[in-house]
Amino acid sequence: MKPLNLIAILLFLAGVIWAFTRSEQGVRDIQRSYYAVIDPFLKNGSSLKQEVREFRNELEHSSTLQAKLTSAEAQLVQLRTEVSHLRKLEQENIDLRAALHFKERSPFRVIAANIIRRKPATWWETVTIDRGLQDQLKDHLPVIAAEGLVGKVDRPHDESSTVILLTDEKCQVSAKIQGTQEVGILSGQRAQQGQESMLLLRYLSKEAKIRPGASVVTTGRGGLFPANIKLGTIVSTELGAFDTEALVKPAVDFAALDSVFVLTGHK
Amino acid sequence: MIRYHISLFILLSIACITQQYFSSMETLFNARVLLFHTVFLCCAVTVKFPAMLLLAYFGGFLWDADNTLAAAAGDPSIYHSPTGSLHFGYSIILFGIMGVIMQGIQPLFRKGVWQISAILSGVSLSIYLLIEFLLINFIRGDFTFTHQVAYQIGLTSLISMGLAPVIFILLFKLSNIFDYTIRYDGLKRRYFNQEGYSIETAAHKLLKKPKG
Repeated sequence: MKPLNLIAILLFLAGVIWAFTRSEQGVRDIQRSYYAVIDPFLKNGSSLKQEVREFRNELEHSSTLQAKLTSAEAQLVQLRTEVSHLRKLEQENIDLRAALHFKERSPFRVIAANIIRRKPATWWETVTIDRGLQDQLKDHLPVIAAEGLVGKVDRPHDESSTVILLTDEKCQVSAKIQGTQEVGILSGQRAQQGQESMLLLRYLSKEAKIRPGASVVTTGRGGLFPANIKLGTIVSTELGAFDTEALVKPAVDFAALDSVFVLTGHK
Repeated sequence: MIRYHISLFILLSIACITQQYFSSMETLFNARVLLFHTVFLCCAVTVKFPAMLLLAYFGGFLWDADNTLAAAAGDPSIYHSPTGSLHFGYSIILFGIMGVIMQGIQPLFRKGVWQISAILSGVSLSIYLLIEFLLINFIRGDFTFTHQVAYQIGLTSLISMGLAPVIFILLFKLSNIFDYTIRYDGLKRRYFNQEGYSIETAAHKLLKKPKG
C-alpha cells in the first residue's frame, strides 16, 4: 500500500473515532450548526411547495371557469366565482376556528407549527417543523394534533425542530386502555409502510381482557407525555409467553398532517 | 487538480441541500431518490483514494448531522427498555465502504466504461441501505426483514442509479473545465498500459464527441 493511502486511512479512522466519541451535547451542537445553514432552504422549499400547490389549484379552478364562461352568461360566472371564493374563505375560517378552539380548550400552553419536511431519513419516521429553540421549544416536548398524539420533539434547532413520530419504533409512550386497568408501552413498528402503519402496545398483563375498538390513551407516567391524550384504538391482541401484545391503529392520520401543536407546559 | 476537488465538495453540498426536497414515495414502498449518496458515489470513482476518503468523511458527517436521533428519555422505571439508535458517525464508515467499492472498478472507469460505474453505484447503494437496516436490527434486536424492506432498498437504489449518468456528465464537464485527469497508479503496471487513461476518454465516449 502506498504511504499516502495508509496515512489517509489512519486519518480517516481518527476522524471516525472523533465522531463516535462525541457526547450527546456535542452531537446536538453539530446538528444545531448544520440546521442553522439548512433551515432557510427548508423553509423556502416548504413555502415554494405551498405556492405550487396553490398555483395548481388556481389553474384547475381557472380552467373550470373557462369552460363555464363558454356556456353561461358572464354575470352568472362572476357570481359563481364569488360564491366559490366565499366558500374557500368560509372553509379557511372553519379551519382556523377549529385550530383556535383547539388551542383555547387545551389546558396546556401550545405552540402551533407547520410541517416543512417529511421523513428525511430512510428508516426513521420523522418530520421537521418550523419552530425551534427561538420559540422556546425543548427536546422531548409532546407534539399533538386535534386527533391525538403525533410524537415528540427529538432535536430542537434554532428555527426548526425534528419531531419523531409515534409510528417510529424509537418513540415509546406509556399507554393505558380506557375502561381497563391495563397499562403498557406503545411504540411504532420497524419497517412499516405508509397508511398501514400500526402501533404495538406491549407489556400488557397475560390475563388482559381487551376488546377491539377500545381507546388507548397516555397514562401521564414516565415524565414525557401528559395523561389522557388519545393514541389510537385497539385492532387485535396476541397472547405471548409472558405478556399480551395489542396492535393499535393510530388516532392521527400522519399522511394528512400539515400543522401540529407542541405542548410547552401547563397554563 | 485542487480546483476539481473543491468543486466536488461544493457539488456534494448542493446535493445535500437538494436532497431535502426529495421525500419518500409511499406508493413505491417508501422508496426515495438518494441524490446525495449518488453524487458521492460518482465523485468517488473520479478521485484518488485519499480524496475519496475525505469526500466520504464529509458526506457521512453531513448525513449524520441531518438524521441522527436523540438519545431516549423519560423515567427509566417506566421506559425500562429504551430503543437504541445508530450513533453519530456510523454513516462516515458506510460512505467509506461505498467509496472503496466504487474505487474497485476505477480502472474500468478510466478506460471509458462509465456504465459499469453507474450500475455499481446502484449496487453500492443497495449494500449501504442493507447494512444500515441490519445495523438497526442488530442494535434494536428482533430481526425483521420483510419483502417491503427489500422492495424499498431495491427501488431506492434503482431510482437513484438512474441519476448516475447525469451526474457523470456533470463531472466530465467539471473535469474539462478544471483540466483534471484521473491518474491511477495502483494496478497500472500489471494490467494497464503505461500511458494510463484519462477522464476525457470517458467524457468523450459519453458525450460522443471526437477526441482532439
